[in-house]
Amino acid sequence: MASSFNVSTRTEEGYAVIETDGYLNGPTGEKLAETAKDLMNQGYNTLVINLEKTRLVNSIGISILIEIIEYLQEHGGSVHFCHLTPVIERTFKMMGLAQHAELHSDEASATANL
Amino acid sequence: MQSVSAEETIQRLIFSLSELEQLGETIISGRGNFNVSSRTYLRIIHGTLQVTSCAILLYQPAENCLAVEAAINVKDESLSIPVNHDDIAAILESSTIDISNPPPTLENFLNPVQPQLEHLGANLWAPLKIRDEFLGVVSLGSFRTQDNLEDWNRELLPVLANQISVAIAYSRLVDKTRAEQFRLFMLSDTATQICKSLDTEAVQEEVVTHAITLLDASAGGLLLINPITQRLEMKSLFALEPEANTQLENLSIPLQTDQETSSALTPIAQVATQEGETLISNDEVEGLLGRRNLMAVPMRGREETLGVLIVADKEGRGGTTPDFTDEDRVLLEAFANQAGVSIENAQLYQEALEGRQLQAEMDEAAKIQQNLIPDTLPDISGYEATGLYFPRGGVGGDYYDCLPDANDTWGLAIADVSGKGMQAALLMATLRAGLHSEVTRKEDLPSMAEALNSLLYASSTSGKFATFFYAQLHPETDQITSINAGHNYPLVIRSEGGCDELEKGGVMLGMFPNDVLSEISEFEQETTQLGSGDVVLFYTDGVTETVNTDGELYEEERLEAVAQRVKNESADQICQAIYDDVMAFQGEAEQFDDLTLMVLKKVS
Repeated sequence: MASSFNVSTRTEEGYAVIETDGYLNGPTGEKLAETAKDLMNQGYNTLVINLEKTRLVNSIGISILIEIIEYLQEHGGSVHFCHLTPVIERTFKMMGLAQHAELHSDEASATANL
Repeated sequence: MQSVSAEETIQRLIFSLSELEQLGETIISGRGNFNVSSRTYLRIIHGTLQVTSCAILLYQPAENCLAVEAAINVKDESLSIPVNHDDIAAILESSTIDISNPPPTLENFLNPVQPQLEHLGANLWAPLKIRDEFLGVVSLGSFRTQDNLEDWNRELLPVLANQISVAIAYSRLVDKTRAEQFRLFMLSDTATQICKSLDTEAVQEEVVTHAITLLDASAGGLLLINPITQRLEMKSLFALEPEANTQLENLSIPLQTDQETSSALTPIAQVATQEGETLISNDEVEGLLGRRNLMAVPMRGREETLGVLIVADKEGRGGTTPDFTDEDRVLLEAFANQAGVSIENAQLYQEALEGRQLQAEMDEAAKIQQNLIPDTLPDISGYEATGLYFPRGGVGGDYYDCLPDANDTWGLAIADVSGKGMQAALLMATLRAGLHSEVTRKEDLPSMAEALNSLLYASSTSGKFATFFYAQLHPETDQITSINAGHNYPLVIRSEGGCDELEKGGVMLGMFPNDVLSEISEFEQETTQLGSGDVVLFYTDGVTETVNTDGELYEEERLEAVAQRVKNESADQICQAIYDDVMAFQGEAEQFDDLTLMVLKKVS
């Protein structure tokens, strides 16, 4: 079982999509945060984070995701997560992420009302 | 520098008080993320103290430096300033530090970093601290107001720095609380999820991945005891580096070591012993899987230790590697106790599944084998022939048959393959196929026996063999020509009394190759004349070695006695009477072997 972490981005009209691949922990979470800030600097305040290829998130990864959400909210933006595994979805709900970001089953429903 | 009126000063004081209130509200709002709100604090400082630039630099213990967390009007926000323990002690002694006129204890620290200080535009620093713990500094540029206000600003700066320190401490507390909340959730939720799965490999993988997320580790592995090899073997591994996966995926550690075989991995093997305790190594020890730090806990099932669960390279914020603590040990042990039961359940389920599959295969093999043994024997003019076969398990190694051969005679065969179960059944099927092939040739019986010996020797593993008896019945002459390859002697029960044994032949088949066999002995055949009413009993040792509840053997004497008693009955009745007598003798005792009986009777 090997795990590296990759982030890829795609911009659409009015929002940007970040796709992650791998274990979301401290170092990889920082990579994701940098990507999110770069997109914000380009003017994308609405981010869709697709976690389809991420099966594991640890507590540091969760903290960084909360920081990204708070950072975007301070700048009038929002975060929409999609393709969460059942464990990650339960974790997000329990850790309060679901109160400040939207959780969607897939990218289509995440972007439907943007 | 601007001049400031009394009215402006009062307004700014009111603004400062208002901002301080807002700062407090921000801190206790529940969104304690300092990383996000640090710019808010800077904005308050910038507005309250009227400075040209300002920055918050946080202490990074892993790198021993001060790094910019947030800044306003700073040329290079990526800069860092190296700092050691003596420098920190000196910084903590002052409530504010005038960068252009520092205390002597800080000159050696500040002089080499003048370029960074210029980029910061640093004029005045205030330490950020909670009690004696150094958190970083607030750096201010020049004041934009009149000199006579600097004293006022200098007094306000430590107050703001204290507020920021509280915010940092609060942020860390929130992070810690969040981590604890996460751990409790993972412990309760994932253990429940793991319990639901019965797929051995999936459970093993889930245990490892959940253990590393639970402990904020970067790598982990599950080593389980192989009871046959007495080694700990890697069953599931998670590492971020592909090369580590290659090196460790086949890791195998002997459980028992002495001075010669002891290695750096021996401490991990000791965790798996019955008295083994959790191993925590917070030093980067070469050999302990090459990790920065590591914790290994015993994984126990209901009655015995199953293996070792390892987590490694604990993560902290900012790329640090915090030590594994006693708290971590308690947490991972609790998780391992639950996971151990799940792994054991999955193993037991897998074994039960494999057992059922094996039983289904055995049942299928038994059906196939039943088809290899004739339901009824052919009608032979002037004779009655019948047989029965009761394997001990689903499949067995006994065989009997009656088939026409190439010499216009009838061939009667009985055999007993050594061993039991599938292996014996396969060798029996080989013998049967060989016999059916050989009887089509017009060979003498010793040649046929040699051919079958060669076939069985080539087909069987070492130590496997078959006893075999074959008789050619010549109905025209009422003679039987027979060969006995190590089989129980068939009995010829004479109608007029007495009993002959058909013993001539050679050694059992498949034990030696033909060239060796020829040096030991040669196969011989014999011819026996049958008279009206004579009965030939073919049987395997399952008949004569049937044991009763007193541990006594049935033996040939009882077989002959019952045969003599019922020899005037039909072949079917004789066969049934012998079987009934054997079963009556056995009583409640267990059947230890396959039981095969064939009866040939000359009726006219």
